[in-house]
Amino acid sequence: MKKHLLTILLLCTCITFGFAQNRVITGKVTDQKDGSPLPGVSVTVKGVTGVGTQTDINGSYKLSVPATAKILTFSFLGFKRAELAVTGSVLNVQLESDSKQLTEVVVVGYGTQQRQAITGSIATVSSKEIQNTPVTTLEQAIQGKAAGVNIQANNGKLGQGIKISIRGNASITAGNQPLVVVDGIVITSSDISTTSAATDPLADINFNDVESVQILKDASASAIYGARASNGVLLITTKKGKAGDAKVNFTAQWGTSNPSRHRKFLNTTQWLALFERAAEGAGKQDFLNQDPDNPDYATVEDAIADEKSFVESRFTRYSAGSTDWSKTNTDWEKQAFQHAPQQQYDLNVSGGSEKTTYYIGGQYLDQTGILKGNNFTRASGRLNLTTKLYKNLDVGMNFNFTHSLNKRVDNDNSFGTPLQVVALSPVTPIIDPRSGLLSGTPPGASSNYPVYYNPLINVDNAYFHTNIYRTLGNIYGNLQIAKGLTFRSEFGIDQTNQNEDNYSGTATFRNTSQANGFGENTNTSIIHYTINNYFSYKTLFGTDHSLDATLGTSYEYNHYMGNDIQGTQFPSDAYKQIVSAAIKSGGYSSQSEYSFVSYFARANYAYKSKYLLSASARTDASSRFSKNNRYGFYPAASAGWVISQEDFLKNSKYLSNLKLKVSYGLTGNAEIPNYASLGLFSGDAGYNGVPGQRFYQLANPNLKWETTAQIDAGLELGFFNNRLTATFDYYRKNTRDLLLDVNVPQTLGIATQTQNIGKLYNQGYEVTISSDNFVGKFKWSTAFNIAYNKNVVTNVNKLIIGTNDLNRVIEGQPIGVFYGPEYAGVDPANGDALYWTNTHDANGKVIDRTKTNDYNKAESVVLGNPTPKFTGGITNTLSYAGFDLAFTFQGSFGNKIFNSAGQYMSDNGSNGFDNQTLDQLAYWNKPGDITDVPEPRLFYSNGANASSRYLSGGSYVRLKTVALGYNIPKNILSKIKIDRARVFVNAYNLFLITKYKGWDPEVNSDYQASNINLGVDFYSAPQPRTITFGVNIGL
Amino acid sequence: MKRFTSYIKLIVGFGIVITAGACKKQLELKPFDYIESGEAIKTEKDVQSTLVGTYNRAGLSFVYGGDIFLMPDLMASQSVIDWSGTYQELTQMVSQQIPINNAYVNTLWLDAYRINNQANNVLANLDKVTAANKNSVEGQAKFLRGLIYFDLARLFGKSWNDGDPNTNLAVPIVLTPTTEVNSSSYPARATVAAVYAQAISDLTDAEAKAGTSVSFYANSYSASAILARIYLQQGQYAKAAQEATKVISSGAYSLVANYADEFPFPNQNAAHVDNTSEDIFAIQVTAQQGINDLNTFYGSADYGGRGDISLKSSFLNEFEEGDDRLSVYNEDSDGSLRVDKFDNLYGNVRVIRLAELYLIRAEANSRLGTSTGATPVADINVIRNRANLSSLTSVTLAQILKERRLELAFEGGFFLHDAKRLKQNVASLPYNSPKLVFPIPLQEMNANKNLVQNEGY
Repeated sequence: MKKHLLTILLLCTCITFGFAQNRVITGKVTDQKDGSPLPGVSVTVKGVTGVGTQTDINGSYKLSVPATAKILTFSFLGFKRAELAVTGSVLNVQLESDSKQLTEVVVVGYGTQQRQAITGSIATVSSKEIQNTPVTTLEQAIQGKAAGVNIQANNGKLGQGIKISIRGNASITAGNQPLVVVDGIVITSSDISTTSAATDPLADINFNDVESVQILKDASASAIYGARASNGVLLITTKKGKAGDAKVNFTAQWGTSNPSRHRKFLNTTQWLALFERAAEGAGKQDFLNQDPDNPDYATVEDAIADEKSFVESRFTRYSAGSTDWSKTNTDWEKQAFQHAPQQQYDLNVSGGSEKTTYYIGGQYLDQTGILKGNNFTRASGRLNLTTKLYKNLDVGMNFNFTHSLNKRVDNDNSFGTPLQVVALSPVTPIIDPRSGLLSGTPPGASSNYPVYYNPLINVDNAYFHTNIYRTLGNIYGNLQIAKGLTFRSEFGIDQTNQNEDNYSGTATFRNTSQANGFGENTNTSIIHYTINNYFSYKTLFGTDHSLDATLGTSYEYNHYMGNDIQGTQFPSDAYKQIVSAAIKSGGYSSQSEYSFVSYFARANYAYKSKYLLSASARTDASSRFSKNNRYGFYPAASAGWVISQEDFLKNSKYLSNLKLKVSYGLTGNAEIPNYASLGLFSGDAGYNGVPGQRFYQLANPNLKWETTAQIDAGLELGFFNNRLTATFDYYRKNTRDLLLDVNVPQTLGIATQTQNIGKLYNQGYEVTISSDNFVGKFKWSTAFNIAYNKNVVTNVNKLIIGTNDLNRVIEGQPIGVFYGPEYAGVDPANGDALYWTNTHDANGKVIDRTKTNDYNKAESVVLGNPTPKFTGGITNTLSYAGFDLAFTFQGSFGNKIFNSAGQYMSDNGSNGFDNQTLDQLAYWNKPGDITDVPEPRLFYSNGANASSRYLSGGSYVRLKTVALGYNIPKNILSKIKIDRARVFVNAYNLFLITKYKGWDPEVNSDYQASNINLGVDFYSAPQPRTITFGVNIGL
Repeated sequence: MKRFTSYIKLIVGFGIVITAGACKKQLELKPFDYIESGEAIKTEKDVQSTLVGTYNRAGLSFVYGGDIFLMPDLMASQSVIDWSGTYQELTQMVSQQIPINNAYVNTLWLDAYRINNQANNVLANLDKVTAANKNSVEGQAKFLRGLIYFDLARLFGKSWNDGDPNTNLAVPIVLTPTTEVNSSSYPARATVAAVYAQAISDLTDAEAKAGTSVSFYANSYSASAILARIYLQQGQYAKAAQEATKVISSGAYSLVANYADEFPFPNQNAAHVDNTSEDIFAIQVTAQQGINDLNTFYGSADYGGRGDISLKSSFLNEFEEGDDRLSVYNEDSDGSLRVDKFDNLYGNVRVIRLAELYLIRAEANSRLGTSTGATPVADINVIRNRANLSSLTSVTLAQILKERRLELAFEGGFFLHDAKRLKQNVASLPYNSPKLVFPIPLQEMNANKNLVQNEGY
């Protein structure tokens, strides 16, 4: 079949336009902007039909014309049509671009296309918009810059997990992150941190090497990636050299970060008063709840006195043994943070000859985190090289190596994470006067002082270093087989070697339970091979028809190998490697692999650049799926109508572009564990040194892909020669056969099975507007985007899925909806926390809504959506007389956040001695008090259960980035032989507008973040506010 | 150029062949870390490994890693301990207000059925075991299954003496290994009587088959000991005394010399310690395998625990002067009074020990006016003498129960289980309050429509 197709394709190219002519004209067509040759420009004779040709790859043409020919017409999509009089036998032309929007070459799956010819939905972020942003990872740099692409960091730790949702969340159990493709090669983009907190695999990519990021959103654009495209595709293209003199570019920037926000906790006076009151509340309950036949207390006063003496003994304990409790007033929250300097150096060289071009880039980045102990460094190098071996063959490579070192801090749910320090009592001094050491440091009274393990002890006594060595690259060959027909073969590799080395010294005993140190060392190695082979064919039939087609195969193989060793009993803290551990307390080695075999094809057809048609298909097979359902087929089709090319609009003064487009197609999701369809036993069930095995996983011999059918309808508009442009997209993604970890009766000895059950949809709108408000000396342009998405789970077999406090999956609601008891405030009579009963009838309708103090009587109801309804951003770019300024606001609206730590930090002193947020002072004190904060009752958990009490709105607008620069005038520079020089100030997260009371509304606590667990705050660090100064020099 | 084209054709062809030809082989990838269920149990050794895996599951923290004893005690020891823990799920037990979504209750349920399924995998493959070992393997698997059903019945069903155990519901009984989810995967709850009967039947088989050799594995005596505990809980005193006697008179176990020796903590260094001569069955904990969750909650930070539980000093007043058992209750370095029975981070979790059987027999004989094995006073004096207390000449039921409370405090969930058996109030609640029975976990209710929820939830 393939052979036949090749023949057909070859035949097509043989159709030429042979007429009897008597004059030959040759020439070259170039781009006015940079002089680069323009291939594919159609050249016709004005007034004569049937005579024409198009330029070749070098922009050259040769055309025989009738003797009568007077004027040649040069037309090319996205360029202004040129008409030139025939004056001799050579006619060279420079075409002027019609607008930057339309001529832009957009990287698509396995090829490129011109913006105007695209019928799919693709958002683009260019290098200009992201370069030198003072952040760690690419995703942070593109936040707020692409419509329908919602990027959210878990917290403010460096290099930590980031969630990217493109057009909503399409899966409940399988992956929800887009496929990431760098220079045509699928890369490993899953988290490989071995702690429960994810790290960001894209942190190994220096985004200053990135030329553009294309985000494939609809099925037309993404179905060519088949079974892994349901969550969209991120196509990252790195910078290439251009023929010409070598260009050297050097940038250095230095700066510092601070927490973008603080949270207020009780001071000593407030804390003492609140816990005295909590003792009283508890005493009253002790008295009420005692055994009537055998009472412990004769009077309520006795019970209160007992509780007070207990609480006051704790005051003394937490005051480092001092009975002068109010002597100290420590603001522990501030102690979690540090002065956080950063520096970054980028150097790159690019250039080339006619045959060979190169780009060589290098970066060193050293960022200190705002949390004590957190630091990230990255050193990376890149070489992109291409050379023309023969006239019709070019070969090249894109090669990147990176070393990153992330000095991580503990997960949000660990006593060792810096921000859990807020739980410590304000009466506790930072330095324990009894020992002269940080409070809680052994030796000394460290076991129950302070109230919890002091995480600041970790700063000098524990570390967790993640070193990643990553090699990412491909080699390729491009062969022009015949005119318009090329064959590309590429081999890509993504090799990640990660070493996680951690040690907790003797002083961390209270956190680790290890008196003589604990060490762990984990190696993770992942290799991912890709082999792509495909044909591309581009041609014009006559002057009106253009066709491009792609046909190919792809094979991918991924192999994970890991090993780990743990040790305890170190001779002293000076020894930190496991070689010195007297007891090797644990370890493992582990491997797994998966593969994909794929076939894909695509054809784009355009008639008169007006009517556009596109179709693509991919067949994927993966080792991950059961034998019965190993293959998946993903077709897509789209159509576009460039109305502005029609005669009735062609000459419109105002409207310069109007395009309608529609697409439909299928994509899949295969992001499940590698052996999910198999029934498995595990050999990890030894007992007292005797080997044992255990039942591990239930087989599902019919497991198959999750499929998403997406329809997209869009409109593109341009006014005033495209000075003002706008796009509008409507989409609906219906996902079926959800790969779901379905709760099965646990009486089976297992809690879940991966099944294809259920349906959900995402539906939404995206609007972008960009405008060149001023052109000329003073330039001002604005780019605005906003997206609305609605996510509804329509069928999960009536299951209620979810494992944390409130996030659930329920039919008729978005994924992860907050679902639980509804808080009803405080009983003015007695200070009890109240909940609405919300009793349902058999149809789920609420039939009784009364207040109860029995948490168990409060039925669960929908409390809010953790995912924003609207997300968007607005970027303004201004320049005048050498100054340039760009700033981006980013916003997220309509979601709720659950403070899962509310049960500790905002529980009116009812669940332990944790210091409380300031708002808890409004507690109920005496009958008649009207408040939302219940009576403090130490250890009686009054109102501390998970409920809507700890939910709040999470909408925000943030000044995400500001870049202000000044270009030093050329006349000064020329004296010192410098081409360009710019000094700049960059700012990140300069300010935030929100009603959220926590540290940061951009949050999802790292240790529990998942597809379902969304919008949860748990001692999560705020985003940094960073300001850097820098200089950019070009030679 | 010609040569070149053919070269390219070769590459193209190669690429396509690689991709297509590799297809079959490259798509059938087998796991490295696991084996497929069909390959797992083929030989006697595989069955043995599965049995060891059953012990491993029994040692999970929410079951016999300790929590299955800790949780009932937390529900009933309000007058004895101060709870200062921050795990909501446990605080809810202390305050006797357990929501149906309590994650600890859910995990206990899941882990219990993990033991059950694992035991069922052993029992379904006995045909692969040689005759010489068959009884021992069957007996041990049934011991673990009987043990967990008894505890499930006590925690999720009404007390035996509360209403009619033939109509009160306990938990579903599942006796076959799981291979798929089908229509029989949604069992209803069996009655309290049926679950007790299943436990007794399993343990009786275990008693007959597990053999008498003493090691850290369960044997015939382990089964007798648990049967004695069950019969006492049911008020079948004669049977309780008989089963207790089987263990005591076997001579296979003996009380350690000093009470504190039963809770060994060598050199104040956490390390695995073998069973004592008094331990009849204990879950083994080593630095590599298993967990002692009683250490987590009772142990102070001095010993690697959270120290969430401290002791009210009034509890110490219950002891007579000179009682050696007071030696396991001490102030930690911060002056909090602690239970020191679980200070060893890698200490075994005792499931049953010999002293309990003397106490069971004494109580049963006392109630029946019999002297099966020994007189009540003789049995009580064994316990008292070991605690450095003088012998009594006669003993009342109240004295026996007091001795039992002091001897076994914090070890087996007896604060709750005995209160129910003896119809005593638990703080302000009567013994039969529905709040003293666990709810059927919400997740399980949602996954299995054949279940009905307990009263009061």
